[in-house]
Amino acid sequence: MRPLARVLRLIWSAAPGLMLRGALLSVAVLLAGIMLLGLSGWFITATGLAGLAGVGIAFDVFRPSAGIRLLALGRAAGRYGERLLTHDATLRALAGLRVTLLRARMRADWETLGRLRPGPALTRLTADIDALDGAALRLALPVAAGLGVLLATAAGLWWLTHWSLALIILAQGAAAAVVLARLGRRSLAPSMRAERRGQALLRGTVAMLRGQVDMAVHGGLQARLSLLLARGRGLERAAARLERMSERADAGLGVVTAVAVTLLLLRGGMLVEAGRLGAAAAAVPVFAALALQEAVALIRPGMSGLGAMADAARRAMAPPEAGAETPPDPAPFPAPAPAVIPGGGAQGAGLVLERIALARPGADLPVLENVSLRVAPGETVALTGPSGGGKSTLLLIAAGVLAPQRGEVRIDGRPVAAWDEPALRGRLAMLPQRSQLLAGTVAENLALAGGHADAAEMEAVLEAVALAPVLAPRGGMAARLGEGGAGLSGGETRRLALARVLLRRPSILLLDEPTEGLDPATAARVLDGIRRIRPAAAILCAAHRPEEKLWADRVFPLSSCDKAGSLDSGQSANSRNGA
Amino acid sequence: MGKTDPLMSRLTRATRPGLRRAGLWRLAGELLWPLQAACLAAVIGGWATGKGTEPLALAGVLAAGILRSLAEARAQGLAARTAAAALEALRAELLETEAARLDRSLSSGTFAALVVQKLPALRRYLARYRPARIRVAVIPPVLLGLSGACSWAVAVILALAGPLIPVFMALVGMAAKEASARQMAELGNLTTLLTDRLAMLQDIRLLGAAERTARDFATRAETLRARTMEVLRIAFLSSTVLELFSAIGVAMVAVYVGFSLLGELNFGAWATPLTLSEGIFVLLLAPSFFQPLRDLAAAWHDKAEAEAVAAEIDALTAASADAIPGGIAPAPALPGPAALSFRGVRLRRGAALVDIPDFEARPGTLTVLSGPSGRGKSSALMAAMGLLAPEAGRIEAAGRPLTAETAPGWRARIAWLPQAIHMPGESLAAFLDPRGRRGDMAAALRRAGARDVVAHLPGGLAARLGESGTGISGGEARRLLLARAIAMSPELVIADEPTADLDAATAAQVIAALEGLAAGGATVIAASHDPALAAAGREVAL
Repeated sequence: MRPLARVLRLIWSAAPGLMLRGALLSVAVLLAGIMLLGLSGWFITATGLAGLAGVGIAFDVFRPSAGIRLLALGRAAGRYGERLLTHDATLRALAGLRVTLLRARMRADWETLGRLRPGPALTRLTADIDALDGAALRLALPVAAGLGVLLATAAGLWWLTHWSLALIILAQGAAAAVVLARLGRRSLAPSMRAERRGQALLRGTVAMLRGQVDMAVHGGLQARLSLLLARGRGLERAAARLERMSERADAGLGVVTAVAVTLLLLRGGMLVEAGRLGAAAAAVPVFAALALQEAVALIRPGMSGLGAMADAARRAMAPPEAGAETPPDPAPFPAPAPAVIPGGGAQGAGLVLERIALARPGADLPVLENVSLRVAPGETVALTGPSGGGKSTLLLIAAGVLAPQRGEVRIDGRPVAAWDEPALRGRLAMLPQRSQLLAGTVAENLALAGGHADAAEMEAVLEAVALAPVLAPRGGMAARLGEGGAGLSGGETRRLALARVLLRRPSILLLDEPTEGLDPATAARVLDGIRRIRPAAAILCAAHRPEEKLWADRVFPLSSCDKAGSLDSGQSANSRNGA
Repeated sequence: MGKTDPLMSRLTRATRPGLRRAGLWRLAGELLWPLQAACLAAVIGGWATGKGTEPLALAGVLAAGILRSLAEARAQGLAARTAAAALEALRAELLETEAARLDRSLSSGTFAALVVQKLPALRRYLARYRPARIRVAVIPPVLLGLSGACSWAVAVILALAGPLIPVFMALVGMAAKEASARQMAELGNLTTLLTDRLAMLQDIRLLGAAERTARDFATRAETLRARTMEVLRIAFLSSTVLELFSAIGVAMVAVYVGFSLLGELNFGAWATPLTLSEGIFVLLLAPSFFQPLRDLAAAWHDKAEAEAVAAEIDALTAASADAIPGGIAPAPALPGPAALSFRGVRLRRGAALVDIPDFEARPGTLTVLSGPSGRGKSSALMAAMGLLAPEAGRIEAAGRPLTAETAPGWRARIAWLPQAIHMPGESLAAFLDPRGRRGDMAAALRRAGARDVVAHLPGGLAARLGESGTGISGGEARRLLLARAIAMSPELVIADEPTADLDAATAAQVIAALEGLAAGGATVIAASHDPALAAAGREVAL
């Protein structure tokens, strides 16, 4: 329940003015409904009595009938305003919350970013947040308004009629509250279960479709489908149980009203007979009790959805991912700094790795031990070594997304930790081993690299990675890709990801097996293209193909240099004249 | 499930009996209200005439009230159950169809959102809109008649205010449908944007695109809010107008009745002047006259939403996508030698058609389909596995034509080695043993050179990796996939670019492992542009 309270505070604080006005209007609207029926009932009974007594002419008909008309019109207008205000305030708060959550997610550390499963993360940003709108609109507001209306009605009746009738109204409210609270408590578990089954169904569906070919061949697809169908049935069963509880609560609320009306008639009749209350005044609480049902009915849906809301609130308010490293400051990323060409200082320019060491937690062997390396602007260095030898890890450390256990990375003379994220990304770009593409056009994929690139530059980059002729028959920049870049072959996907990285205009370029999936001739053209379009970049390339090694100015074998000492010995010992 | 039978009419037919019964219960409950109102009016009328509280009438108020609550709850339950059953059947049908076809028109995220998050819109339509329509046809006329029996003037007031409501609703409904479709489209946009971006958060970090992504998303979220408000504004406006009509109707009835009772209005009643009890009775009926109309209006939004969702499902059902030949049910392995031949095969690759050269792959051989990217190597492998039916030509597997009948049995003999790793949320051990054979995993890992890969992982075989194998390098992933194929001790191995991502030494190891599988009697077919692999087997150039 505590996360739900936090969500409510958050929704409230996003637009307190709107919400407060909405809440007050909501009370006013419900009161107007009660007063409309109460006043009409009183008016008819009173006029009936006056007619019977033959004093019709003396009866003041104008104030009550004007009141009835005013209440009728005011109530409708008030309802409209109330709904607009509260919905607008809530939706604003939730739109903001979505963005805040996405930002928090994107700040997670490198490994967490990779482990993230898009399915659950998506649910948390869409369905979970959607479920929260009810927290204010279907729960907090109706409960507050219902309570306010109940107290105001009881006070009014106490003053206008008789205290015992006011007490019956209060008892009616209390009994309704018991029915609703019971519904809320008992539906908590099934509504949470329904919600979770829905989420599990969502995730399972995405996983089944993504792994479809694998499972279709190896025979797990039918079993996976049966599992999903069972989950679907479970979801419906939980929903049906909730529905039964709601039915029972609705019936309970109806019975409460019937009993209250009966008691009011009984007690009112006694008061009228005893001459302590006029018949018209005694009729007012009866009509009020009937009208009070509307306020109560507004609370019921919120109560049956309490579990789902509490669950969604818990997920939305939880830290992005278990074990995720969230920086303490919740400030958004600062605006990206314009990429500035370093003022000079040739001795510090480029990339320097000094005595880097890293071991994975829980693993026996260290991945990297004491690696030192320097790449100057305009220079190309190929990292070689067996698969799993730490080439990718070293590149990730150089890119500043993995922290080494020992050693230091310097970019243009400054330690990588001293750079702020946007400035660092403006200077350094990396093609990781696996890249994802977007569903959309080629241009949209390239635009992810930033807004500064114009069409001409995009064309130039596509030309450099030998992709322009491949894409031309499919519409060039306007060629559409499917989900995750589907429609391109493995090699084409690789080159488009490379084009995107080159568009960043990096002064330091880290490439993890850039020509993976390309035939030798294309690989050679792509490598030449990279150097041609970014002549001044310091390039560090994890290489496993002869073309990549030949392309480099020198080769740095990773396995043999583990024990190499200083920075410069590492450089010279492994130096090889490329050209 | 033809194109001429849209989802809405199918659902309507399937739920008609259940919803009709629910409607009857609801009617029974609501028709108890005039009885309760008459009793209530009699009690108050009794006070005015000095006769005191009528015990029988008082008992009537209580009994009618309780029965009414019970009947209405029963109606609500019936409608909900009917709708839920129809929806469950629909969801199962959609999932079954989608699981059994490749080349789908919707992304997996969009489809999942459709069957989980959007289907409830149809449930609301069935459980609320349809019963509300039944009630509108019965309740207002009955109440009109009862009020008219007391006073024709009251009936005139109600009859004038009532019909305006459906007219107005039709107008509002049209606007609501359009706005609702726009909102749904925007919701889809937001989901697509998020699905893609969330799958590439590492790329976003490296591209320095985090802030841009957040801002794009903020814009989308804001657009969605605006679209939602658009829908709500229309919905609220319509319900406000209804409320206004109903409030004015009630107020006019109250004022008319009051003035008649005072004797200032002498028209409208029948032979005798209106009594106090009759006055109270018609006052109580007036709001109930409008209530079914208001309920229908409230459910109008459900209808608009449901129609938008139904249109989406109809589009999905109509979209042509190739069903997996033979379906997805497990089948006993096809007997006969694990040999495969292609004769004049032409395959569809997106919009284009590609011709695959004839070839034959026999047990104990390694066949390599080579050629530059985009020549249909992967499609040829799909066809070889019986997942893609050729447009023309003939594929023979185990000595018979590879058709819908033989494809499932053929697939049961295949170990598939994909280009990219995809790990559903399961442990590495479960992933490596998809057929649950519990083969010699240690030996398979050794032969694939993947023992160190597992040793480096925290938890070893119990480790759970990211969806696309995060936590291991591409080469490591490839070796794990190879170990999986070996552990299946297959008669047929089909591999897509098995040496991609690997350094020369490891690639040689993989090639040796594939050659070893062939030497052991398996039919091995690989698609690759790697000359070393092509040299190791019989090359078929595409």
